[in-house]
Amino acid sequence: MTKIIDLSVKEKIYKSKKSQLSILNDFNLEVAAGEKIAIVGESGVGKSSLLNIIGLIDRNYNGEYTLFGSLTNNLHASKLAQWRNQKIGFVLQESALINSLTMEDNIKLPLLYAGSGKKEFKPEVFESITNAIGIKPILKKKPLECSGGEKARAVFARGIIMKPQIILADEPTASLDMENRERIVTLLFKMNKEFNTTIITVTHDLEIANRHDRVIHLGRSK
Amino acid sequence: MKIFKYIVSKIFLRKAILGIGMVLLLCMANYITFTAVRSILSTFQGYQETRYINQEGFYIANLDPDSHIEMNTVRENGTQAVYDYINNNFNYAFYADGFIVSVPNIDDMEISLVYMNKEYYKLNQFELLQGTDLEFDYQFDKEIPVLIGKGLSKTYPVGSTIEIEESVLGRPITLKVQGILKQNAHHSNYYALNSKIYYNFSVLFPVNEEFINHANIDLQLNGLMDITILQTTKEEISNLSEVIKDNLGLKFNFFSQKENYNYINKYYFHTLKIISITTIILLIVITCLSIWNALVSVRLMLKDFTINLLVGLSYSKLKKIFYGYFGILSFIDLAVIFIITAFNRYGCWLRKDATFATYGLFGLIGMDWLALLLVAASDIIIGMIVVESMLWKIKKIPISLGVLQ
Amino acid sequence: MKKSLFRLTDMLELSIAYIFCFFLNLLFDYVKTLDLDAYLLKAFLKNFIDYQSLIVLLFTFVVIVFHYQMLYRKNLEIFCRILVGDTVFNITIRYILDCLTILIFVYLLSAFINVHLNFNLTGNFYLVLIFITYILISVRQVRKYENF
Repeated sequence: MTKIIDLSVKEKIYKSKKSQLSILNDFNLEVAAGEKIAIVGESGVGKSSLLNIIGLIDRNYNGEYTLFGSLTNNLHASKLAQWRNQKIGFVLQESALINSLTMEDNIKLPLLYAGSGKKEFKPEVFESITNAIGIKPILKKKPLECSGGEKARAVFARGIIMKPQIILADEPTASLDMENRERIVTLLFKMNKEFNTTIITVTHDLEIANRHDRVIHLGRSK
Repeated sequence: MKIFKYIVSKIFLRKAILGIGMVLLLCMANYITFTAVRSILSTFQGYQETRYINQEGFYIANLDPDSHIEMNTVRENGTQAVYDYINNNFNYAFYADGFIVSVPNIDDMEISLVYMNKEYYKLNQFELLQGTDLEFDYQFDKEIPVLIGKGLSKTYPVGSTIEIEESVLGRPITLKVQGILKQNAHHSNYYALNSKIYYNFSVLFPVNEEFINHANIDLQLNGLMDITILQTTKEEISNLSEVIKDNLGLKFNFFSQKENYNYINKYYFHTLKIISITTIILLIVITCLSIWNALVSVRLMLKDFTINLLVGLSYSKLKKIFYGYFGILSFIDLAVIFIITAFNRYGCWLRKDATFATYGLFGLIGMDWLALLLVAASDIIIGMIVVESMLWKIKKIPISLGVLQ
Repeated sequence: MKKSLFRLTDMLELSIAYIFCFFLNLLFDYVKTLDLDAYLLKAFLKNFIDYQSLIVLLFTFVVIVFHYQMLYRKNLEIFCRILVGDTVFNITIRYILDCLTILIFVYLLSAFINVHLNFNLTGNFYLVLIFITYILISVRQVRKYENF
């Protein structure tokens, strides 16, 4: 299988005025295309920070990161943005929606940055996604008018609308009931199966974690 | 107090720009209110003073604005002829100021000589700190009894003498301090009621007929500008105007009590109305901006407020905290206005500006304190509007939604 | 839906803030041209006219408040846009251009009134420079929200 992620972090430091915190010390990760990986660990060990690094949001760390065969450390910000738009999908927690936009506009936000001719968007893709996760009735509403579950599903829809090669999910089912939790996980794995999408999920839910190909336990750095 | 400190330090001060915005807006509101109130109070004070001199049967002189003085054309015998006519036909109040002399004093101020006759002195009822009233029947070639301002009293106590080179008579004379005026005694300009000069560093010089006859043209002409003719008629005043015109070539207007009041009502009250309306409009605009600033604060701090409400802070307590916070901001602004005023007042002492130097805490006089009090009142009104708007906004949003913001 | 951080209400708020400052400056210039014969009114207005620049400058603080609250409110939006393919640089440039567009529009409006009242065109120009400075300082706030 083709290796698409090759990450080697020596350390990631968070500095505050009074102290500094070092996480992900000597952390290495290789991920093949189409692999499903769950990242577990107690709070504060750097799970979300790892997702930020993999998702090309955070470049402020000591280490090397090769994505799709290219070393990302020296890539231009616009190239990284293009990859975030076309190749990486983020499924974050429910609060990551723009309150002044409707749910539909929030979900379609990545299309705005796709540029013309780079990736053709088919309206039926949007239809099928919103149908599959059951948020059609709330598309014209604004996030503050929706429930936590509805918002979580909209965040999920936004993350997959570009049919990315990698989906980075940070606690995607944390605020969902059993029915919607199952819906999301099924859809996530369906994407993995149909489009060979690589899935990296940060979760506290061991039942979901065990359904992935590989589970990585992140521990506290010394 | 603990909660107040917590909310102010952990919520309000974390977004200090909004607090600074509110301070600046309040500062503007305070400055506008202070300036307007002081203008109105000063004008009212001047108006009260005119009542001593603007009585029935009195006519106050005023040079026609279209008549220009050319000093070269005015001869001393012309002014003397006018005074001869006035002395023979009228009873009058004489006043002239603006004559500066250098007299040693511990504050190193230049001294202003103010000349007035008995009638003017009687009408104005000056209050004294020490000594006795001015005497007008003095020996012209001996010591002349004078009243002095409080600022000179440390150097020249009652009974002491002052040697000056008197420009009006053109020879050295000796003044004897007869009494000391109450602090901040002043004179308002009758045709600019809000402007006044203070007598703290002045010498009030008694003027009688003989003195005027010996005075130079400057004093004679200056005195004519503000002369008030007492108990006379329109006809006699017309004759006087003619005499002045014939002898000096100047057109003088003499205004009766009614004409003066008409002028004051038309000119001053109209202007005060404009000032009041302008001030109110500006205050409304600033209040609107303050409300906007406050609502922006609520928008950004909503989560913090609602979380505190969630864990037990009551709306009534929050209201008290808001009022307390606004009180602090108002206090800062009042302090700023106080400092600006004190700087202006004290600046007169530093600049050795004798006619404007006043006594009081940092030179602030009663009018300033009253204006500051009204500024505080306007702050309370603006504060109530702003705080109630903030609370209305917070109460409108359910706690659950605010926490999730 | 556009890439701009501005919504209609934001545009209106900023426009009103700019208009208020330009109008205030214009009002001062206008009052200076009035041939007032009322000494009292002149003395009253002098208290403000003498400090025109300072007063207008203090009032421009409402624009600083606008930038601060606008970008503070938009922190999540900035993050979301970065997530789906935008860059901090592009967001910053777009924000500057949006602010400048509103500023130029309001300035032209005030310049038109200046011409109409026969005032010096440069009378309001110093405000443009101040507002541009505010915009440039405020965009530093965008970078703060790059990492959530």
